[in-house]
This record gives sequence, structure tokens and C-alpha cells, in this order.
Amino acid sequence: MERRQSATTLRGATLIGRLRGEGSDRPRVDPGLAGGLRDWLEDELAAPVAALGDQNGPVRVTKETLNQVLVCESHLVARRGAPRRMTEELARGSLVDAAFRQWITTGRLDDPWADSLAAMEATGDSDGVVAFVGALPSARRHALADELAAHGAVLTAAWPVPSPTWLARTQERLTVPLAGGRIVMSGVVDLAFGAPSSGNASVCIVEVKSGRRKVEHRGDLHLYALMETLRSGAPPFRVATYYTATGELDVEPVGREVLVGALHRVHCGATALCRLAAGGEPARSPNALCGWCAGLASCPPGRARVEMTSGGAPPAGAAGGLTDDDEVEDTAVEEDATWVSP
Amino acid sequence: MGVALTLPRAGAVTDELLAPVLDISGETLSALRGDLVEALRSLASDLPGGERFVLDAYRFSTARRHPERCGTPEPFAPSPARCRRAVGLAAVDRCLRRRARGPVEAVGQVLETGVDDAALVERGEAPRAPWWAKWYASLGPGGRAVVAAEAVTWCTQLWTALAWDRFPVRPQVGGRDDWWDEPSTGALTLHGRAEVRARVGQRPVLVVVHSSVPDAAATTALAFPALVAGLAGGPRAIPGRVVGLWPTSGQVRVLEVEEGALRRCADDVLSAVGTWVDAAQSPDGVSRSAK
Repeated sequence: MERRQSATTLRGATLIGRLRGEGSDRPRVDPGLAGGLRDWLEDELAAPVAALGDQNGPVRVTKETLNQVLVCESHLVARRGAPRRMTEELARGSLVDAAFRQWITTGRLDDPWADSLAAMEATGDSDGVVAFVGALPSARRHALADELAAHGAVLTAAWPVPSPTWLARTQERLTVPLAGGRIVMSGVVDLAFGAPSSGNASVCIVEVKSGRRKVEHRGDLHLYALMETLRSGAPPFRVATYYTATGELDVEPVGREVLVGALHRVHCGATALCRLAAGGEPARSPNALCGWCAGLASCPPGRARVEMTSGGAPPAGAAGGLTDDDEVEDTAVEEDATWVSP
Repeated sequence: MGVALTLPRAGAVTDELLAPVLDISGETLSALRGDLVEALRSLASDLPGGERFVLDAYRFSTARRHPERCGTPEPFAPSPARCRRAVGLAAVDRCLRRRARGPVEAVGQVLETGVDDAALVERGEAPRAPWWAKWYASLGPGGRAVVAAEAVTWCTQLWTALAWDRFPVRPQVGGRDDWWDEPSTGALTLHGRAEVRARVGQRPVLVVVHSSVPDAAATTALAFPALVAGLAGGPRAIPGRVVGLWPTSGQVRVLEVEEGALRRCADDVLSAVGTWVDAAQSPDGVSRSAK
């Protein structure tokens, strides 16, 4: 079995070779694997779904909700209730995603700042990134533009434009309905390439991160690997995270243990999400993020944790509802965009 | 009906599409058509004077899933998501004709041609360009890139969903949409379309692509283009089978087109038109069925 490799800084053919698994065989797909995983998950979730009763609308499982509910159910509830606040980190993540998408699709990225903002505008800027950066003081806006230019330079130096035959596609949506649609797993993959499986695992999934490396990024990738397996009937052969700040590439082969681990995580998270959707009281799990939780003011265990670790002073930015990730992901279930043409 | 798919899925889906189809009686269809046309005539006469209403797959779905939105339809504006199908279809066709090595190259060619066509129309040297071309031409590199990226993803999903070499005759990608005008008032039109059209013997078969996940009304959504094809082209134009693809969720549904499926769809069409007519008549623009 291939071991997970530590992050390395690669570029050009070496980077693509690592992603494509050159020098190693693509594993055969066990034809019963996807069906078995789905049956397992559906069986495990049958009781939590039954407890939902007639509650309308599906319970949505995304990387964000999964991370939040597994850290602290109260944190998830507080985040849902708080207005979504754009931050410079979130804006940078969205702009870098747009720049990466442009580079992979067109092989051109002359002006990352103008091009990324134009991409946001063309798509309707539902997250308000354009308005946010427009309202920044000039010095901070210029600093963000410089930062984006640096990220753009890293990725254009490292990433060759993929061959047309690799079928590279960006921002591909994955949606996996479970339990007759009462639970919907959804996500958006920054980059996928490889043809659908004809017997061997053939798809590679890449997530792009503009922030620093975090351990939970691996869990996000494993979730996407599970979703791709359930969707297509075959697991991806590799998943990877590319860090545009440093050029580091974290590559991992997808074995059965990765998928089973992701399945257990989804089971635990979806069970908690179903319980909350059915009106259950959110459990409070004090943790290192309490200082940044939007619900801190009304959470005695969280306040006690903060006081214990900071000697009474909340950390900078406390209770402001700051995000613990560096990107906004639109995981709303997609409506049919099949409009009649004029 | 769902499909048990073996790998490679494209081969299994294509085999399902091209399997022999059931015959359907012309008399049965004539009776169904007569009933439906009569009921639609009555509904069309309730539309406010001078209004022409087109029921397409989008509006059909809106009436079923979000009747409250029927009174205030969002005005159409081009966007990367809204033009990915048009660009993506033209790109799949280029791939099928071996004019491009893959979706990204094909999409690039389609968009470039669109810009050229838009410029020709602007100079009065061509009669028309694709509907998205002028808008696309007005975008800068960043906007154009996101249009291309959306279309590449859409195109790749359709291009990899079917085993194109299994078609005995090259299928039509896109092809002409089906339009049926209610004959007595001219106020009501049904519009059906499909992403791929092929033939099994004498009967057409269709592939349609949807987004997200199939819901409880997936069967009627698949029957809709078959029903409109039958209204527009007569019994021989009714497809024997419609295969629905939901690439986002990897779901595939196959509808064998028979009398029962068409009758259920006809009932749903009448309900949907009724919902839109109600909304058009309502002073607050909201269908009574949504209240």
C-alpha cells in the first residue's frame, strides 16, 4: 500500500506526475464497494432520519457543517444564527479560487486582481466579495491585491496548463442524496481530472487553499473522496491539497481505510445534524475555538474555557463569528439553471 | 426507473438508451392528444388578453416545486450558469465530430466563434449569433474565463456520460427543440428540448440532463419532452425512451414512454399551466395554488 506522502513543493511535470500517480498502478475498483458503503451509511442513518419526523427540507451535510458539528454542536447553531461576515481571509480564498480556475481553464492569468473580481461579478458575487474589497481602506485593498498576485505567481509557476485529454474540470459540484433525499451531502471540488472509471480508479481531486496547512483539510478531502465514490461508483485514486501561499502539495492515495474513516465521520456528523434538525438541544463541547465563537456570550462552558486558557481576557476578534476556514463555499443545492433562451 | 450501473457507466447508460423500445398505439395517443388539447384550449382562453405564455421545462418545474414564484418570474439575464448548456452542447458536438481533443479545447473554439459571430452581427455582416455571444464578448478575461470554466465542466459531464462509439449512427447533440402552439388562441406554447437525440429502429430516444438530484417528480420531468415531441410532431415523433442524467449526483433514470407515463405528464402539464394562468390573473401575481 502506498503511504501518504508529506507535503512537498513541486512544479511543472513533477507536480502533475505526482497527481497522476505516474510510476504507480491505478488500483482496480471493487465493483461492490460503492454500493456497500452506501448501504452501510443508509443503515446507520435510518434511525436518526426516522427521528426527523415530518420536518421539512433535507438535512444538509457539507464540509463546513460536518467540521462545525463535530467540533461543537452549539458552535454550529451559533454560526447559523449569526450573520455571515466576510473577512480578508475569506475574500482571499475566493479570489485565489477564481484565479486558479482561470489558469487551469484558459492558461492565462495576466491580472489576478482584476480578473478574479471580474469572475466574481460575472457570477453574481453572491458572497459579496466584490463589495467587501471595494469597501476596504485603500492600503488594505492594495495589500490584498499584492497578496493575490503572490499567490497567482506561485500557482502559475507551479501548474502547467493541463492537456485537453485529461478532462480537467473546475468547481465541480458533488451531491449525494441519502435516505430518500432526507439527507443531502454536497460539496464543490476545486479541480477534478481524469475520465470516469472503466474498471480502475481514474479520477484525481484537488482542493486549493490560500491559507496555511490545517489538519482538517485532510478530513475535507476524505469527505470528497467518499462523495465521489458514492456518486460515480468508483473512488478517486488520489486526493490532494495545494497551498497557493507556499506551493506545497499534499497528496494522498485513496484506500478503503480513507473511505471508511470518512463514512464514520459522516455518520457521526449527520446523526448530530439530524438530532438538531429534529429540535434536539445542541451539546456544548468547549474547545480551542471557543474564543472565536459567535455564541460565546451565552455559553458558560465556553466562557469558562476561554477564561481558563487566557487568564480572563478573550482573544483578539473574540465572539465576532470569525470563520475557522479560509474560503466560502457555495454548497446550496443547485436549482435548475436551464432557462429558456431569449 | 433507476438503473443499476456497472463500470464503465457510460457503456451501461448507452446500452440502456439504445435497447429495443416498446410500441405505443397510435389510437391511444390520438385520444390522449385530443383530451389534452381541449383542456389546454380552455386554460389558454383564461390568459389575460394579449399575453403569450410558453411552458418549458424550467417553468414546468417551477410550477411544481415553487408555485409561489410563478407570479414574479425573474427576468432573464445571461450568466455563466445560464449559458453553460448552450456552449457546452456546441462543444460536445465538436468533440463528437473530432474537431477538438477534449471539452476544454472545444469550449474555447465555441466561445471564440461566438465572439466572431457577435462582431459580424454588429457590423451587419451576419444575421444572427448565439444568444449568449454579445454578452460574452462584452466581458473581460476574468468573466470570460468563468464562462469557459462552467461550460467545460458541463460539457465534460455529458461527454463522459455516454459511450459515443456505441451509437450505430451519430446522434444529434442538442438538435431542434420541439415547439407546440395551442392552435385556437395562439396564446399558449409548449417547449420541449433534449440534450441528445438518437433513434432505435423507427423511434427516437432522448437524453436529457438535469442539475442537482432527481426528486419525486423526476418521471414527469422526463416525460415532458416526450409529450411535447408528440404534440408537435405526431405519434411517430414520440420518443420510445427518455434517459435522464443528473451528473451532479451521478443519478440516472430511464423512462420507457408508454400511455400511462404520458397521461400522468399531461395531467401535470395541465396543473402547471393552471398555476401560471392563476398567477397571471391574480392581482398580486401569486398563484392561488401557492397560497
